[in-house]
Amino acid sequence: MYKTEVRGLLVEGGKTLGDVTRDVMAPLETRSPNWWRVVFGFASLMSIWGIYSIYITITQGIGTWGVNNTIGWGWAIINFVWWIGIGHAGTAFSIFLLVLRQKWRTSINRAAEAMTVVAVLCASIFPALHMGRIWNFYFIVPYPNTRGPLWVNFNSPLFWDFLAISAYLLISASFWYLGMIPDFASIRDKTTSKVKKAVYGFFSMGWLGSSKEWIRFEALAFVLGGIAAVLVVSVHSIVSTDFAVGVEPGWHTTIFPPYFVVGAIFSGFAMVMTLMIIIRKFYRFENYVTDSHLNAIARILVFVSLIMGTAYLTEIFLSWYSGNRYEMFTFFHNRITGEFTPQFWAMFISNALIPQLLWSKKLRSNITVLFIISIIINIGMWFERFNIVVTSLTKDFLPANWAPYHPSLIEVGIYVGTLGFFTLGVLLFFRYIPMIAISEIKGVMKFNKTKAD
Amino acid sequence: MEKQAYIVGVYDDEEPLIEAARKFKDEGIKIQEVYTPYPIHEIFEIQNVKSRLSIAAYIYGWIGGLSILAFMQYAAVLSWPLNYGGKPENSFPSFILVTLVFTILFVTIMSLTTFIGRAQIFPGKTIDIIDPRSTDDKFIFVFPKEGTDRQKVESLLKSTGAVEVYDR
Repeated sequence: MYKTEVRGLLVEGGKTLGDVTRDVMAPLETRSPNWWRVVFGFASLMSIWGIYSIYITITQGIGTWGVNNTIGWGWAIINFVWWIGIGHAGTAFSIFLLVLRQKWRTSINRAAEAMTVVAVLCASIFPALHMGRIWNFYFIVPYPNTRGPLWVNFNSPLFWDFLAISAYLLISASFWYLGMIPDFASIRDKTTSKVKKAVYGFFSMGWLGSSKEWIRFEALAFVLGGIAAVLVVSVHSIVSTDFAVGVEPGWHTTIFPPYFVVGAIFSGFAMVMTLMIIIRKFYRFENYVTDSHLNAIARILVFVSLIMGTAYLTEIFLSWYSGNRYEMFTFFHNRITGEFTPQFWAMFISNALIPQLLWSKKLRSNITVLFIISIIINIGMWFERFNIVVTSLTKDFLPANWAPYHPSLIEVGIYVGTLGFFTLGVLLFFRYIPMIAISEIKGVMKFNKTKAD
Repeated sequence: MEKQAYIVGVYDDEEPLIEAARKFKDEGIKIQEVYTPYPIHEIFEIQNVKSRLSIAAYIYGWIGGLSILAFMQYAAVLSWPLNYGGKPENSFPSFILVTLVFTILFVTIMSLTTFIGRAQIFPGKTIDIIDPRSTDDKFIFVFPKEGTDRQKVESLLKSTGAVEVYDR
């Protein structure tokens, strides 16, 4: 049951179990490198702009944004969907691959889950601010209240969204933390610093690694993994219903749920690739995040990119085939040609065409190329959300409703701010949490031995 | 916390540990506890430890799913029915998403609680670390000093490849 075939060596460099603990703990035990401090400073500046913009939005209202009656969802919803998409990959990575018993996940899942938690936190800022009166946020929670009691509308995708994202955040954070408990215990037992011993000891919750603890730990990981696998599909499907249930040209289609889920996995895997290359390069984890790991992610990206291309073409084909003039107008005169041509083609080229370069083994093994492509994909995915949100809303059924949309500096500031928060979160993760799941890596090292024999 | 007296056997690899666990079982000597840096399924089988968490989670799933459906029925039909464009008040199909997500949330919270309760894992727990290397690179057998045939255990440990045997 537990014997699955693995690809290549999972850990290179003839490491022993002791080496794993020492190597993964090294960044926690040493002074933070200079590049870390520089990036931290830069990300703090971005965050300050973000906090200022959030302050202005809350105190003066969303009139400070570029949105208007026609385009009620501007950058806020674009960025919300973008961040949720990125947040997806962590779960997709660690949980799909856990359920499928893919051993190569062990080097990557910790970082992917960290990315999930931080990205979902960033995402949740946008709908909350978009509500306008953020201090009435709790109205969306269904509880017996003095307003009737007036219950929420359980048929509304916006409520589904709230529930799906809160559940997703809680579950991915618990899953992430659960995986860290044995590693915190390793740090507690190995570190020489008294402060670290106390802090990591507290967070390791008294873990000793007895077989009774391990079997329950594994059972819980599989229960959480099994049910969270459903969430990977459901969360972004629910986000897509925010659009698909709305009667707008370009939105009201059944392709949206799978299209969004695949898009989310695509952007998330690209972000995982970016992060893993950084971890590998700057923390010298080449023996743990091997070429074959990056190769595996690149192959998934090329496959998902094909699905993305198919989805784009299907949408265009159906707008023509349906004979619906509004759909035709949206796709052919407002996306492929027309006002939003650059955004449409930026999306198409970055997501459907450029990743096809990864068919070449030579390019797939070039770290610089992988890094650049992973960034391009995330830019492309941002444009995809721009296309969906803005092009459909600016020109709907009635020309009298048509309006232009330009984001204000405040809107841009919130986005830049979330990029700063994300970077800060990831940097703190690099600094204080073992970047690679120590106990899981140790568990798969025996497969190295059988491979070497 | 009062420290108990133990006999500790230390191995530095998984294979001799599994062999040794089998031998101890054949000899009828009970190993009180095995500490390893990662989960080893053969040890679970030999020690016959089992977890019923997945059964519990299944039951939690049914409880969560049925209660949220009942709650939505109460809120949207009985307590405060609202007319959304003439749609049925108990619109079962559109309640499914909330049911699914809430069930997952409920199972997660309840399973975590069960895990914390059963495995006794919580912040600030006072623990007796037998050998700090067991979370690093050593595999450890622990026998209670009382009621254990010291010589027999020691010779079995040594013959099965234990790198260290000590009292604690």
